[in-house]
Amino acid sequence: MKRAPIVLAATAAGLAAVLGFHTEQPGSSLLSGLPGSRGAPPGGTTSTTTTPTTTPSGSSGATSTTTAPGSSGSTSTSTTTPSGVRTAVGADVQYRYGELELKVTATGGKITSVQPVIDTAYDARSYQVNAYAEPQLNSQALQAQSANINGVSGATFTSQAYVQSLQAALDKLGI
Amino acid sequence: MTSTSGEAGPGTGTEGALRRIHAVMGTIVSFDVRVGEAALDKAHVALSRACAQLDRADAVFSTWKPNSPMSLLRRNEISIDNVPAEITEVLGLCGLARDLSGGWFDPWTMPGGLDPTGLVKGWAADRALNELRVAGVRAAMVSAGGDLATFGGPEHGLCWRIGVRDPWAGDRLACVVESPGAVATSGCYERGEHVIDPYTGRAETRCKSATVTGPELWLADALATALLVAGSEGLSFIEEQDGYEGYVIEKGGAVSATASFPFAP
Repeated sequence: MKRAPIVLAATAAGLAAVLGFHTEQPGSSLLSGLPGSRGAPPGGTTSTTTTPTTTPSGSSGATSTTTAPGSSGSTSTSTTTPSGVRTAVGADVQYRYGELELKVTATGGKITSVQPVIDTAYDARSYQVNAYAEPQLNSQALQAQSANINGVSGATFTSQAYVQSLQAALDKLGI
Repeated sequence: MTSTSGEAGPGTGTEGALRRIHAVMGTIVSFDVRVGEAALDKAHVALSRACAQLDRADAVFSTWKPNSPMSLLRRNEISIDNVPAEITEVLGLCGLARDLSGGWFDPWTMPGGLDPTGLVKGWAADRALNELRVAGVRAAMVSAGGDLATFGGPEHGLCWRIGVRDPWAGDRLACVVESPGAVATSGCYERGEHVIDPYTGRAETRCKSATVTGPELWLADALATALLVAGSEGLSFIEEQDGYEGYVIEKGGAVSATASFPFAP
């Protein structure tokens, strides 16, 4: 599966192109993962790596593979079904008003947490507002409601930086 | 419940708050759900249904996916009689929005042909929010890339407070509104969207940013786009719609709004 290139989503069109790659896959909700949420079993949910997930007994497709003991790696590498807790840090994205880097935690192939590793804007006031302009995933951002707002209307550069860093982290996780 | 999903909302005592983000339709959609008396697992199911509504809308309406029904229709590869029911519904709403906006919102005049994208996002967010409403949660807010649909409030007796982005600086707010159900902002930002003037066919707008509030996001979204193109004179067609209010920031910085625009105190 080829990866969507990580490009700066300078326009709405560019942003759509980046995300469109993921949304083309039926049933694969990019960020549906919350503990306890219902969903398809891990093998079929968010993985974009098109792993054959051949069973040890061998499916019809596996018959053509070599049977040499040494070749077992050829399947095991491609069938790394996400399991356990894994984390990846996305791209460090510089944007007009600051810098953003996200850490994504996945459990069993589902996103369970997205946290900023670097989240700076070039002045204190920017920082305050950025906390809300970013998609409201981080409860910390919502709890620090000094501006006392629950959301922001209007597209923001911040959210583009967010998507960009997030995408890089997801690619590292193969989600 | 652990990590991001089940934390209690700020100042809400023991009430559960669920948050989720979902990348779809070329943007990020985020949910903030205050569960109230509803069962937490029921709220989770409703959130999944809400995301499924968005995915379905994307699959049907995407103009980026060459084989979506909308793309097929745009290329005249299927007839209007054979499209999914959602397309028939949305095109009906597009016609309504066109009439209500005095023609300033017109998906039939887009350069690449019929393109209802400007209404679909809000329409899909309305449907997603409805999944949460019928599930019995106390309050919820969905933000579809900066256009928001809400019901209830973050705490009992409070409204959802939504900041409107300063069009010249993504890190500042132009004003704060109390959501009456939907808040949509169209902006002509530095690198931003290109909005087509239906009367000239060119990408030009008469103001810098336009916000429309009202009971439903599909119409608020379409009217915000219309208002951006029409400029402050367009506030007259907003005023004519019961429950809808408008707020305009002109290119020179002048601000105007309809009489009852819900500025937060």
